[in-house]
Amino acid sequence: MLSNLTEISVDMILNQVHRKKDEGYRFVSMTTVENEDLTIDLYYHFDRDYEISNLKLTVNKEFELPSISKIYLAAVFVENEIQELFGVKFDGKAINYGGHFILSDDDLENPMCRNQIVIEQLEDK
Amino acid sequence: MGKTIIPFGPQHPVLPEPLQLKLVMRDEIVVEAIPAIGYVHRGLEKLAEQKDFMKNIYLVERVCGICSNMHALTYCMAIEEIMSIEIPDRARFLRVIWAELHRIHSHLLWLGLLADSFGFESLFMQIWRSREKIMDIMEATAGHRIFISTNTIGGTHKDLSPEQQTEVLKTVQLVYDDMKAVEKVIYNDYTVAHRLTDVGILPTEIAYALGTVGPMARASGIVFDHRTQGYAAYGDLEFEPVVETAGDSHARTKVRLREVYQSIELIREAIGKLPEGDIFTPFKGNPNGEALVRLEQPRGEVLYYVRANGTKLLDRVRLRTPTFANLPSLLHMLPGSSLADVPVLILTIDPCISCTER
Repeated sequence: MLSNLTEISVDMILNQVHRKKDEGYRFVSMTTVENEDLTIDLYYHFDRDYEISNLKLTVNKEFELPSISKIYLAAVFVENEIQELFGVKFDGKAINYGGHFILSDDDLENPMCRNQIVIEQLEDK
Repeated sequence: MGKTIIPFGPQHPVLPEPLQLKLVMRDEIVVEAIPAIGYVHRGLEKLAEQKDFMKNIYLVERVCGICSNMHALTYCMAIEEIMSIEIPDRARFLRVIWAELHRIHSHLLWLGLLADSFGFESLFMQIWRSREKIMDIMEATAGHRIFISTNTIGGTHKDLSPEQQTEVLKTVQLVYDDMKAVEKVIYNDYTVAHRLTDVGILPTEIAYALGTVGPMARASGIVFDHRTQGYAAYGDLEFEPVVETAGDSHARTKVRLREVYQSIELIREAIGKLPEGDIFTPFKGNPNGEALVRLEQPRGEVLYYVRANGTKLLDRVRLRTPTFANLPSLLHMLPGSSLADVPVLILTIDPCISCTER
């Protein structure tokens, strides 16, 4: 269990992130973990005076979340990355790479997800 | 005057790794810049889920050549936190010595590349000649010039003999002397000052808002260095972050040069205080739990998140490298700059794209 962790729901994201900004936190990054039941754990990491503060929510894949890149521009790249690699969509990104931040047209969709690995293995057979 | 879009990279003489910038230009001035990556994405985080957690040490060392030792260190610290492993004192100091050798080698590589980016070939050669000495001592002590695989979960699996310690001290003294000779050029030479001073200014509040880390942040007056938190043996050593306030490319250069001296001091102090004893704490079992660890790589803060499930295979290894955190600063620094300054500005973030893409 991470320290300084607050579990939130989707409708709380923007309020909570605004609060972090107002309290002087620096945006560090976001982490995505795919669970056994194919839901996604999404962590937002913030830092103030070396103390890490984490927000966590669990969503279904293909769920559309509000982008926080209008609050923290630094989040724009990691949101694009997560959208491509895990399939969690972010609405209202400051820069939208349209699925081509990391991947190209020929790449598998959401390659970090479990089901995509299964598909690759079946094709190999 | 209309706008022109110039694709800068992914192949360009100044870029050691493939990064593309779509530069929207009005005449010779950059109006907008959008970075694009995706040329060297290897899926290493996914691969880490399919390897034994011990073998992942060698995998994360290959995320980046320049920071290989510190990627392994961060990963090992994350697993040690999950498994509550306390490493021996001697291993803590050894970790500092090799980490600081790696920092010197990284900063000298960068200083040379920067000189090359504005055509100062003799400065580039002087600095890289000095860097060779660090790479030689890494090979002599750890068996490889770049991938010094010294860290393991529970400590280190290499030690420094008294003779090797003497050689390390001799080498860092030679590098110190070399850098003192080129310091005057970096600080006072007209060409260097002209190409770097007041170029790419990143004010403190913008650097903080953009999540900038490492020498980039410290050159903008932000006192932020994870070594102050005392991981490994840094808590037992004299350490103050190097900070400059101008926020321009020259300040970023000075920070890295001063950090070379600082690393030399840290190595001397760590060798002076190196305790006797074991270098490794044996452990049994598999990790179960999660940990988030951050430490200071040459380019800045690196973050590792590890989630383990009690088996040999991990559920997740997530890493965010310093270049990923410093990319947004380009969105601020490039607009308004001239095309001739673009190579310098890209280099001042010390981009490592294979790190960033993983």
